Amino acid sequence: MKRLLAVLLVLTILVGVLPAAAQDGPTGTFLGTWPYVLPPNHHFNGFATGGPGDNLGAVYRSLVELTPAFYMWADGKYEPLLAESWGFTDDNKAYFITLNPEAKWSNGTPVTSDDVIATYALGRIMGWSQFTYINDVVKVDDHTVNFVFSGEPSLLAERLLLKEYIVSNETYGELAQEALDLIASGAASDSEEWTALRTKITEFRPEQYLATGPYTYTLDDVNDAYLTLKWQPNSLFSDKVKFGEIRLWAGETETTAPLILSGELAHSTNVYPASSVEAFEAQGIRMITLPRGYGVALLMNHDVYPFNIKEVRQAMAHAINREENAFITAGFGAEAPKYMGGIYALTETLLNQEDIDALNPYEYDLDKAAALMEQAGFTRNADGKWVDAEGKTISVEYKFPSEFVDFSGAAQNATEQLNSFGFDISLRGMQPFGEVVTAIRSGDFQLSVWSYGAASPFASRHFFGPVQRFNYPETVKIDPNFKGMNFPMEFEYNGEQIDLNTMINEASTGLDVEAQKERAGVVARIINDLLPFIPLNDLIGIEPVNEELLGGAPADGDPILANPAGSGDHYVIWGILQGTMFPQGAAAEMMSGS
Amino acid sequence: MSVKSTVPPAASPVRQMRYLKPFRQRVGEALSSYTARVLLQGLFTVFAVMTFTFFLVRLMPGNPVDIKIDQLMQTQGLTYEQARSQAAGLFDMDLNAPVGQQYLTYVQRVLRGDLGKSILSAGTPVADIIWRFLPWTLFSVGLGLLVSFALGVLIGAAMAYWRGGILDNVMTAVASILYSIPEYIIALLIILVAGVQLQLFQVGELRGGFNPDVAPGFTLEFIGSILKHATLPVITYVLATIGGWILAMKSSTISTLGEDYITVAKARGLSERRVLTAYVGRNALLPLVTRLSVSIGLVVGGSVIVEELFQYPGLGRQLLRAINGRDYTVMQGIFLIIAISVVASTIIADLMLGWLDPRVRVGQKATKG
Repeated sequence: MKRLLAVLLVLTILVGVLPAAAQDGPTGTFLGTWPYVLPPNHHFNGFATGGPGDNLGAVYRSLVELTPAFYMWADGKYEPLLAESWGFTDDNKAYFITLNPEAKWSNGTPVTSDDVIATYALGRIMGWSQFTYINDVVKVDDHTVNFVFSGEPSLLAERLLLKEYIVSNETYGELAQEALDLIASGAASDSEEWTALRTKITEFRPEQYLATGPYTYTLDDVNDAYLTLKWQPNSLFSDKVKFGEIRLWAGETETTAPLILSGELAHSTNVYPASSVEAFEAQGIRMITLPRGYGVALLMNHDVYPFNIKEVRQAMAHAINREENAFITAGFGAEAPKYMGGIYALTETLLNQEDIDALNPYEYDLDKAAALMEQAGFTRNADGKWVDAEGKTISVEYKFPSEFVDFSGAAQNATEQLNSFGFDISLRGMQPFGEVVTAIRSGDFQLSVWSYGAASPFASRHFFGPVQRFNYPETVKIDPNFKGMNFPMEFEYNGEQIDLNTMINEASTGLDVEAQKERAGVVARIINDLLPFIPLNDLIGIEPVNEELLGGAPADGDPILANPAGSGDHYVIWGILQGTMFPQGAAAEMMSGS
Repeated sequence: MSVKSTVPPAASPVRQMRYLKPFRQRVGEALSSYTARVLLQGLFTVFAVMTFTFFLVRLMPGNPVDIKIDQLMQTQGLTYEQARSQAAGLFDMDLNAPVGQQYLTYVQRVLRGDLGKSILSAGTPVADIIWRFLPWTLFSVGLGLLVSFALGVLIGAAMAYWRGGILDNVMTAVASILYSIPEYIIALLIILVAGVQLQLFQVGELRGGFNPDVAPGFTLEFIGSILKHATLPVITYVLATIGGWILAMKSSTISTLGEDYITVAKARGLSERRVLTAYVGRNALLPLVTRLSVSIGLVVGGSVIVEELFQYPGLGRQLLRAINGRDYTVMQGIFLIIAISVVASTIIADLMLGWLDPRVRVGQKATKG
């Protein structure tokens, strides 16, 4: 008996004295993909290129660095992640976020307000867009921070604050203190000190990646073929997740398609051409569809005749069969735009029904198109081409990024349809895509193609591209190289002088959602009538999911599939953090080193 | 008491001339020597390429800052000015510096052995990037080239010697087909047909430079893993280039076989083996040496698409990333290394030709004389 007691005593002491052994985590692997970069370019500084933003993307970064909350698009509500509560202060002069007091970093230290203060101190130096709305970040207590508005309170600011990744004060503390000192000194953001600190921040290389999420990794976990995020025990979600690790195969569409076909990849956020989707389905891979938040649009240079004529633009909209264009662009990965008011289909909640009903759908109608061309002073010549009073045909060039399957497909089909209607458009594919962006920005184009809409629950963000993104009526005064689409933003409309730029900016300001809808409705009607660009199709994400490797993917029709693809609200983030997704088959047995 | 001066007596102008003359002669002789001329030409070529690429990359439309500005405007809703200000802080790049000034800074840095820092990954030295990925490319593409050259030369010579036979007919068709297929198509066929359809290997298992579960070190396991992972890229390079070597060697051997000295050698009763190796093989190989030297130089550039498809950690993949992201400094660094290696291998080939072909040495002496 004494011996037994002695043994028990020794065991008790050993359990108490020995350092906490590695906790038993879940096993099994999530097999995803992301085009991360390799060391020495790869690092853990979230404020610099080559850091977590580039290497993990919004989806996988969210599993390492928690944002305060997660947004459910279907009901427009935020769900807690790192934060416990949030909201506008009673006087609406600030927005508060209270962190979950149980939240810890992967090294076991608690997550506090100091981490938030440090995050935003560096963010301010780096020029984060949150500072368009706030001018101060104040610590209320150990877990609560107030973001003080510089002007009106804003729901758009709320989203920016709740969707920002919080970094560790332990890692960035020294730089953050320098930032706070600099801000307190009153230095201007274009001062030498400011620039020097910004450079210092971007060149900083943290030795470890402290995580609030249930996974983290070291540079040893980054190899040529894949990157492995490993489970860590200290997160709020560590006990919930069902994967021991997240394996991210390196590469883009062309290099990951074979992995899906060979059954080594469970899920991908890449965009695959229709032929690949067919091959996946033939192998029994499930395809999950979800909105991408943006569509493809035909852009025109309004300095180029006859695109400065509204009737010509409207005729073009009628002359393009958008159903056909969508199918040619991405098979079932695109659909014809419902509205021609600059808002992607997913955001019906952003406009009043009255405004939606008032929008011209620009149905495919060649007779209407011809009538509009004639109204604009054009007639058809013997070759069936439209000519103006001087006999000039509409002979223009259409620049498109040839490396983007969707953009190039849309551009080629639109050109084909417009040419058969009587235009004389020649196509010019360009690569890399940056060439097209540069051409559009500098106004060095006649017709081109780029995205419209946004994966955002705010109308102003949808209107932004391309009317503001590629149109610089103000900037061109500073930098003549930036002409963009040359669409005037200040003009007389229905007998009233309007400033479309301001109207777009103000479409989503304030806290009154109904008032926002009304303002957005006015903008949508103007865009619908003037057509500064022509929406060609709305893109839909079609993500392959191999259910032999991954269980718990949301069923078709699940409200979470209203969340857009590629965003920080992706269903995979929620599924993994909540433990509703789990490894299956070979993936359940798979772990690094085993 | 006389003090012996330690200062040498000033040389008279005549004496100076006497000292200088042999020096000038020596320099003149050195400069007129074939080796020095080749080296100087090489240096000039490297400098010219360095200058050319510096300006060329800047003439490309778009730059990383512009791309980032657009991204920031789109994702964060910043105005152009805000996005430009934020983007400027993200990159190790002065937007406003004149190009001439940037060039001078670049040349000064290169002369000090500093290739600068990556623009896309602020703070990361370009040299670190090159030294991280260069060995992998040298190994895989170099091995592929050597295997392809050796096999191509042997098969080509055999085809020419037994011209009109089955080997010649079959291999001419095979070589022509292989020669006409781009290497990325071969790589895709290997992955999709051999990997996905026939399941001869696990596609993901052979990606990268080595198995991540094997600890790097001088161990049989690690070396085996490296060789295993290099298999697919090397097979691709071999298949993509062997057709060229086969056809070139065949053509060169046929023309050599028609030379008088071969007929004389045969008439002298030399054994077939001796005629083949010492007379035909050696002479037929000469035209291929220059081609091989240029190919060796281009090994450094790697094979961009093949490395990307196999996720092989070579320099080509980095070059692709740098070009797409307009990472000027990394592009310049890699182009410079490619230029140096091509020039160096060409110089070595020139010198080797003299060793392989005595007529070249005689030609040099005759030119000097």
